[in-house]
Amino acid sequence: MSGPLDIGALRAKLEGRQGRAYWRSLEEAAADGDFEEALKAEFPSQFEYWQTNRRELLRVMGASLALAGVAGCSSRRSDEAIPYVNRPEDMVEDRDGRYATAILFDGYAQPVVATTHAGRPTKLEGNPDHPASRGATSLHNQAAILDLYDPDRSQAPLLKGEAASWSDLDALMARLRRQWTASGGAGLALLIGPTSSPTLVRQLGELAKALPNARIYGFDPLEDFRRAATSALFRRPLDILPDLSRARVVVSLDDDLLGPGPAQVPNVRAWASRRGEKVAASERIRLFMAETTPTQTGAAALRRLAIVPSRLPLIAAAVAFHLGAGDAPEGGLSPQEAGWAADAARALAGARGASLVSAGAHATPAVQALAFRLNEALGNVGNTIHYAEPILFSAPTGSLVDLARAIVAKQVGTLVTLDANPLYAAPADLGFAALYRRIPLTIHAGTHADETAAASHWHLPLPHSLEDWTDGRAVDGNATIVQPLVEPLYDSRSIHSLVASLTGDAFQPPRDIVRATWPALDDKAWHEALRSGLVPNSAAAPVAAKPAAALGGATAPAGGEVEILFRPDPTIRDGRYANNAWLQELGKPLFKTTWENVVAISPAFAETLGAGNGDRLRVTSGGRSVEGPAWILPGQPEKAVTLFLGYGRRNAGRVGDGIGYDAYAIRTAAAPWSAPGEIEKLPGRKPIAVTQQYQAIDAEGADLVRTVAAASVVAEKPEETDRASFYPAWEQEEPAWAMAIDLDLCTGCNACAIACQAENNVPVVGQDQVRRGRHMHWLRVDLYHAGGLDHPDTMFQPVPCMHCEQAPCEMGCPVHATVHSPDGLNEMIYNRCIGTRTCSSYCPYKVRRFNWFDYTSKAPASIQAQRNPDVTVRGRGVMEKCTYCVQRIRGAAVDADKEDRPIREGEMVTACQQACPSEAIVFGNMKDPNSAVARLRRSARNYSMLGELDTRPRTTYLARLSDRTEG
Amino acid sequence: MAQIFSRTADTWFRAALVSILLGALVLIIGPEVIARSQYVTQVARTPHQPVPFSHKHHAGELGIDCRYCHTSVETSANAGFPATHVCMSCHSQIWTQAEMLAPVRASLAENKPLVWRRVTRIPDYVYFRHDIHIAKGVSCFECHGRVDRMPLMVRAKAFEMHFCLDCHRDPAPRLRPRESVFDPDWTPPADRRALGDQLMRRYHIHNAADLTHCTVCHR
Repeated sequence: MSGPLDIGALRAKLEGRQGRAYWRSLEEAAADGDFEEALKAEFPSQFEYWQTNRRELLRVMGASLALAGVAGCSSRRSDEAIPYVNRPEDMVEDRDGRYATAILFDGYAQPVVATTHAGRPTKLEGNPDHPASRGATSLHNQAAILDLYDPDRSQAPLLKGEAASWSDLDALMARLRRQWTASGGAGLALLIGPTSSPTLVRQLGELAKALPNARIYGFDPLEDFRRAATSALFRRPLDILPDLSRARVVVSLDDDLLGPGPAQVPNVRAWASRRGEKVAASERIRLFMAETTPTQTGAAALRRLAIVPSRLPLIAAAVAFHLGAGDAPEGGLSPQEAGWAADAARALAGARGASLVSAGAHATPAVQALAFRLNEALGNVGNTIHYAEPILFSAPTGSLVDLARAIVAKQVGTLVTLDANPLYAAPADLGFAALYRRIPLTIHAGTHADETAAASHWHLPLPHSLEDWTDGRAVDGNATIVQPLVEPLYDSRSIHSLVASLTGDAFQPPRDIVRATWPALDDKAWHEALRSGLVPNSAAAPVAAKPAAALGGATAPAGGEVEILFRPDPTIRDGRYANNAWLQELGKPLFKTTWENVVAISPAFAETLGAGNGDRLRVTSGGRSVEGPAWILPGQPEKAVTLFLGYGRRNAGRVGDGIGYDAYAIRTAAAPWSAPGEIEKLPGRKPIAVTQQYQAIDAEGADLVRTVAAASVVAEKPEETDRASFYPAWEQEEPAWAMAIDLDLCTGCNACAIACQAENNVPVVGQDQVRRGRHMHWLRVDLYHAGGLDHPDTMFQPVPCMHCEQAPCEMGCPVHATVHSPDGLNEMIYNRCIGTRTCSSYCPYKVRRFNWFDYTSKAPASIQAQRNPDVTVRGRGVMEKCTYCVQRIRGAAVDADKEDRPIREGEMVTACQQACPSEAIVFGNMKDPNSAVARLRRSARNYSMLGELDTRPRTTYLARLSDRTEG
Repeated sequence: MAQIFSRTADTWFRAALVSILLGALVLIIGPEVIARSQYVTQVARTPHQPVPFSHKHHAGELGIDCRYCHTSVETSANAGFPATHVCMSCHSQIWTQAEMLAPVRASLAENKPLVWRRVTRIPDYVYFRHDIHIAKGVSCFECHGRVDRMPLMVRAKAFEMHFCLDCHRDPAPRLRPRESVFDPDWTPPADRRALGDQLMRRYHIHNAADLTHCTVCHR
């Protein structure tokens, strides 16, 4: 793109528009020449080549011809058949095994059912029996399977960076134990990452008894202010459990309820239960969101208010004032702020007992306290909100700051770091790296030899949760026993064994340690808990709590030039998932950038700075600075700059190293979530690998995403599709597979996209290829904005293959590599494909993906082990696209056929549908009038994307319902 | 003026025409011949096995059911190779000292699997399932030949796409009643097509269009 966009002109243009016109990116909205040209090119990469000279073109062609010759060669497969010596009972090599277990995420258990093929875990699904999942998953749960096979996982103990053996460690521990037994553990310190494991909590309690002088510290870079707020207000730390399914009005004070996090799945599910087809207008959830950085919750909100963090206390106080609690806030509110606060308060007052005021994890304790008081006053406590004993372990001796003090005071002789990475994620003002090196003996245990491992004397590999016995609790407190699905791939040792080895050498196997935590379960109940993935009656009991003391007044802190926000990255979180290529390559839900973090600035501020997307910015706070690429985020308030944590890793692995900037470098212990600072533009610009403007649909004026006023929806009115066509009508045989996607339920969480990637062996292509528009996701989630630059509405639209009955791609293919099946699938036959890419240029929805290079055969052996054996791994030069999970359809058909019956409704579930926490994706037989998909297709909200082309797609959308009167 | 063409020019020209035609014919027919040859299809291939196991003896003379060893043929995509333990369930009692069976005993003693050679195999991009074929009345012998008459296991059919399609286009004359699927001595009735048509209806077997579209076998 040439030069920065003219934001002023763009704003004027958008404000001059009539009605609800949607735009996907700033470039599209500006409709500059570059964008138009990139749009016309089927893949933007070609557009680049055509700009190069003839010599370059010949060189590229020569290279591809040479490669074509090589690609023809392949080695013969081995024809060995190796049976068991003694086949385990009930073991059939190629039949899927399914086991209930849990993935650990930010310390919480995320209940899943894992599928294994020939003993190899290949896919994770939600656990339908667990209340925190109900069968759905988040994108992080879907991606966790790739971490198991990460070739950069730590594979053996390291002593000063050299391979060592466990017996060396055992000898050292034996010596240390003698010292500790004598001294009561003096000089021993543990630093523990977030955990909810009842077994680990029990072990640490026993350790504290056996070695009373040992200190236990906790470190969670994403620790929020809630615990501090509840401690101050209720005199004890408490967890807050919202229940959106019972709330008609939710006022969120910068709380990303629907965004990535351990509670995403239950929250989205509860939210969705009050939206969509079956919910009466009076029962629909109404969401008021005051936030800084645009989030999924803001996108779902009826009223979104963009404010800098320092205004939040004032807004909260204004809402409280309108509800008759507290005084009018000092200092004036802008008309927008005042209007939002008044409307939010009115809505809350109209839904007493069925409303919720939720303060964000990053909101100050004063705001948190105000939210608790309002819920109390509105009668929401016990209805839409419950208090519970904290689910995560609270370290008795304090946090990383306390540990740093102890190191300075020379009180730490041995530091054992368990599953935490303080040398990467510690606040910059602690100078923790220098302190860490002062400790006489440092032992680090983690799944990766990360930054902390590199500075430690000992590094010990921990197993992945799919290889290990442990346990954990979900956000609602329900416990799951984590059972291993596979023998540890590497020479690792369970965290429970490691903790046990601090006090005794005859440590038991991890299973026995976990079993001992649950004496109340007899053997039968234990096996049932393993089978169902849920320990009965383990949900967090509601705690009655009354606010005890008032907290400080609501005043705005003094700001610098801009307010800098620190937020976990939407996909790689605090950096823990930096080496997960699926998460790296997924466009961040709200801005679609990949493979690096950006400095998010508002359009207005970009105009002031004269900065465009990708321009280098320096962000300074407290004398420290970082540099990163600018990203103009529509909806960001003017004086706010958001930095995303998790990047700039040095020892993450081959995927995560050296990409992005390290926001921890300017984050302080006192102000971990927002701080005043300055920003300046530096020379230089780098193209950002963004997925958004590629696959833009070239249809001017077509309403691809639709919103309808709730009042105008009639009960049933099928879309009219009997337009005249040159082609004969497709005979709809049974089953006639179809998909309906309800845009009223979609939150844009992207769990479907990663579920599809895991199920269908979708390759990762890397940052450079994404820049060229060659990412391979079969299902993309398009992001649309409507309205002005500063306060846009945001909508998401998942786009898989439409499986058109009159498919243009099928007309285009010269070799019949894409054909139609009787049950209505648009089939892609890889072996016939010769790579002309005609189909892709004929596809109006741009859902086809081409293997420009061999993205698969050079993958490390462990990554290849993750692949789904029921799906072909595609090679270079073939086209691919969404198949409606044809392998599952054919599998379901065989199961039904063997019993001489048709496939039952609900028996065939696609991977994206299975993952979706809001059940926005429905799949089934549209010829069966009673099927869910047939019902949705009869809805008046149902529409075909680009229906005027008469492609008769089998994938249709349901328009989002607008709660606004003005449409 | 000298002659431009020599006396033999016509002959050379005719010879060239004929050899071009013949050459073209060879180029067209040759590959077809090679493709159909046993060298490529590997029909009658008898790979060397660690133990010279005789299906003729076990399945034919002793009459052991196919499913005794190939246990998952009715429930799974793979028919399943027998574990060493299955061999030893008999051979711990009979022929306990046979030289021929030394590798089997060694496998059990050392807990190391036997490494057999596949006789029949299909490419990776074909998703074949045994269970559904058995359930619809396609006998083992339809694809694997008269295994009960093979002293050493031999590939009976070409296992190429047209072999699969021949049957998927017209399954009727190749079907048996379910109860006779494993019976080597089943004799077809005089009018096998009539039986086949009857079985097609009884087992709800789809029509040719449903059985021959691409994703039935390729995904």
